[in-house]
Amino acid sequence: MNKLIVTNNSLVFEKYCNHCGVIYLKDVGYLDVLYAVRDRIHQSYVLLTHPLAGSLKPNQTPYKSIIITRGEAGVDTDSVVLIENSIAAAQKFLRDRNTPSWSEKILGDFRTVDLSLIENAMQKRSFN
Amino acid sequence: MSKIKVVHYLNQFFAQIGGEEMADMEPELREGLIGPGIALQQALGADYEIVATVICGDNYFGSNLEEAQSRILELIKPYSPQLFVAGPAFNAGRYGVACGTIATAVEKEFGIPALTGMYVENPGVEMFKKDLYIIETANSAAGMRKAMPKIATLAKKLINGNEIDLPAEDGYHERGIRVNYFHDKRGSTRAVDMLLQKVKGEEYQTEYPMPFFDRVPPATPIIDMSKAKVAIVSSGGIVPLGNPDRIESSSATKFGKYDVTGMDRMSKDDFISIHGGYDTAYILEDPNLAIPLDVLREMEKEGQIGELANYFYSTTGTGTSVGNAEVFGTEIGKQLLADGVTAVILTST
Amino acid sequence: MKLELGKILIQDVQFGAKTEVVDRTLFVNKEEIIELVLEDDRLIGADVELARPGESVRIAPVKDVIEPRVKVTGGGVLFPGMINKVEQVGSGRTHALVGATVITCGRIVGFQEGLIDMSGPAAKYCPFSETNNVVLVIEPADNLETHDYETAGRLAGLKVAAYIGEAGKNIEPDEVVVYETKPLLEQALQYPDLPKIGYVHMLQSQGLLHDTYYYGVDAKQLVPTFMYPTEIMDGAIVSGNCVAPCDKVTTFHHLNNPIIEDLFARHGKDLNFMGVVLTNENVFLADKDRSSDMTAKLCEFFGFEGVIISEEGYGNPDTDLMMNCQKVSQKGIKVVLITDEFPGRDGKSQSLADTVDEADALVSCGNGNVIINFPPMEKVIGTLDFVETMIGGYEGSLKPDGSIEAELQIVIASTIANGYNKLAARGH
Repeated sequence: MNKLIVTNNSLVFEKYCNHCGVIYLKDVGYLDVLYAVRDRIHQSYVLLTHPLAGSLKPNQTPYKSIIITRGEAGVDTDSVVLIENSIAAAQKFLRDRNTPSWSEKILGDFRTVDLSLIENAMQKRSFN
Repeated sequence: MSKIKVVHYLNQFFAQIGGEEMADMEPELREGLIGPGIALQQALGADYEIVATVICGDNYFGSNLEEAQSRILELIKPYSPQLFVAGPAFNAGRYGVACGTIATAVEKEFGIPALTGMYVENPGVEMFKKDLYIIETANSAAGMRKAMPKIATLAKKLINGNEIDLPAEDGYHERGIRVNYFHDKRGSTRAVDMLLQKVKGEEYQTEYPMPFFDRVPPATPIIDMSKAKVAIVSSGGIVPLGNPDRIESSSATKFGKYDVTGMDRMSKDDFISIHGGYDTAYILEDPNLAIPLDVLREMEKEGQIGELANYFYSTTGTGTSVGNAEVFGTEIGKQLLADGVTAVILTST
Repeated sequence: MKLELGKILIQDVQFGAKTEVVDRTLFVNKEEIIELVLEDDRLIGADVELARPGESVRIAPVKDVIEPRVKVTGGGVLFPGMINKVEQVGSGRTHALVGATVITCGRIVGFQEGLIDMSGPAAKYCPFSETNNVVLVIEPADNLETHDYETAGRLAGLKVAAYIGEAGKNIEPDEVVVYETKPLLEQALQYPDLPKIGYVHMLQSQGLLHDTYYYGVDAKQLVPTFMYPTEIMDGAIVSGNCVAPCDKVTTFHHLNNPIIEDLFARHGKDLNFMGVVLTNENVFLADKDRSSDMTAKLCEFFGFEGVIISEEGYGNPDTDLMMNCQKVSQKGIKVVLITDEFPGRDGKSQSLADTVDEADALVSCGNGNVIINFPPMEKVIGTLDFVETMIGGYEGSLKPDGSIEAELQIVIASTIANGYNKLAARGH
């Protein structure tokens, strides 16, 4: 299975760019990553990880990494429902309060945690 | 001590001006109370005074949402109301939407409590329950005597800043707003209680009702479009000039079927949009944007689709209740099937 | 498995020359605790402070809360696979210092865990405002990598709790409760006419600061399995979750799992508590499919007629919660879910990130988005530097006078989704 990571986290990009496909969206926000994933789902990609992974709320952490893979022709409805629910949830939080502009040290911490959420999934092997 | 000033909103019917024929009436203000205002004043008591009643035709409001609201707000302003009551609208859909819209606008503009009353199936309930307190009423004006006291009681609580109780106690439609409170039992104990009720087949009450999704299984796909008979159905409010069936601009209670025999495209000389929920400028200029007759005729000529039906079905989507939409869909579906239609393009706006 | 839990009631905590319990007061030797913590050279600083109910004290940022316990008889030692060797626990006799806790505190990352107020309006939302707390404030070595610091902090708390727990070994408990779960077939036969009830315990398992451990195994690596309820009372499950304060299941909450307690309370009376199925909340979607399939399979195999499912977290875990609910229900087993809600500040949005039709019996642990105001406290243990970056906090949360305006989410365990608290939410 060819994994494709969609991310706005430089740490994720650095770690995996030589390992598998990485769409690195530099300087975009959390929601933009979700939208980019949603667009690809409509182009037959399938979600491999949950878009809302992590307890850091969407108006807290600026970073989001999601793993997708090419599916068969057509659109995977489970992925569509999951990404749309995730977008709705993220918009709900961002509506209440916007993501603050964090210091560089704190941004580094958010990047570290986001990377860790993906790491375990990246270690998974699939046989199809 | 001066009385608390109340402004009341009524439609043309309850204001005793006229029926459906007066539904295009523009906003007007009368001093004092009219019609149901008597019941409202009585229920509110001597500390309150209905200083003015605003009246507007349901059609006018529905077709001119922005203007109706701003005109009504202007009319009310000089009276410096402290409380606003709209309706109650019972089961009248357009009236319910008007009450909900104007009450929300008044609350926002003047920062005063605003409330209304509706029957549970009124589309206004689903649309406005999160923004307003909507008292539960019967489905017709026969319920006025019971509704007004409930409206008055809740209004007084809002004015006095009292805590509003649960929907069942204060008589309003559940708003779907989640509010914290401390139960006397901890959550795990309540879970065990609930589970045993469920296991024993007894009645139990969930603490968080799941949203209801009415799922319709999709029909089997068409293998060969070149053999399909296609029809257009739209909720964009496209109707012939003059709106002969008088389809409403919002909260539609009917749909229409319109002939396009011999037409290669929709012409703005023949068709308009009466939809009250979007800016119709582009579609008035080119109705093909909502009813894609031009493209479908081409595809018909080229054999990409088998045949295009010589009519389209149309209604207004905005504010239309789920209940009505179900009724329309079922009926339209029957007619299409009887005519051998195998595929529908549904345009929404 | 049969466990006698001896509850030693603690009503006060003080520093003393010797760590011991005398007349319901827990005395702790500060220097010994600090020495114990600094054995781990990943930590260069440690301090111990005490916080008692009713005091004007605020503790922030909190990592974990642990109840001091000790194995008296029965094999195994507390927190197996974490600070002690891996050996089966859950039998024999264990003593617990009830009314005392160890709280670890100190920064790990920029966005910290939450806070605990020992008095004032925020106190009622947190169970630890009513316990006598030994607060361990730790400081990492410079440039210590985040994973290492998390590990060091986690282990420090467990070690100190175990060390303090020793003080209860030879004390006669105020109350002894006996919990017993027999092997499956015997258990079924013990109360043949009572409904067979199971508990599906979902463990947080997403990554750094989002982990849980079962006998030292990272829950991400688990496939659903069976646990005797008494194992949890000896620390078989330990928290490594350190991000969202309000629904964080602390190690204390694992030791004192309220669902297990409440099921045992009715065991033999109107239900037959058969045992616990453990499962996880992985990020990888295929893992969710696998775990939920296996959870349903185990529930069916064990003959459960009804289960309670609890989760930890929001968003990703809601999907697991719903998948478990659906698949277990489809086996014909009755399901009740326990969860907290995040319907936005105004309470009007969807509370959960996922839903299924089968989720028709749900217990709510409250709305975590509500804004609350709490006054300044005279003493702060730890630091308030991170309040605004805590989940629930935001720019302007911490006022110059030390008072705080923040979402309820910021208070430790305020909406914990295992039903420990009495806070709930309802529809208005």
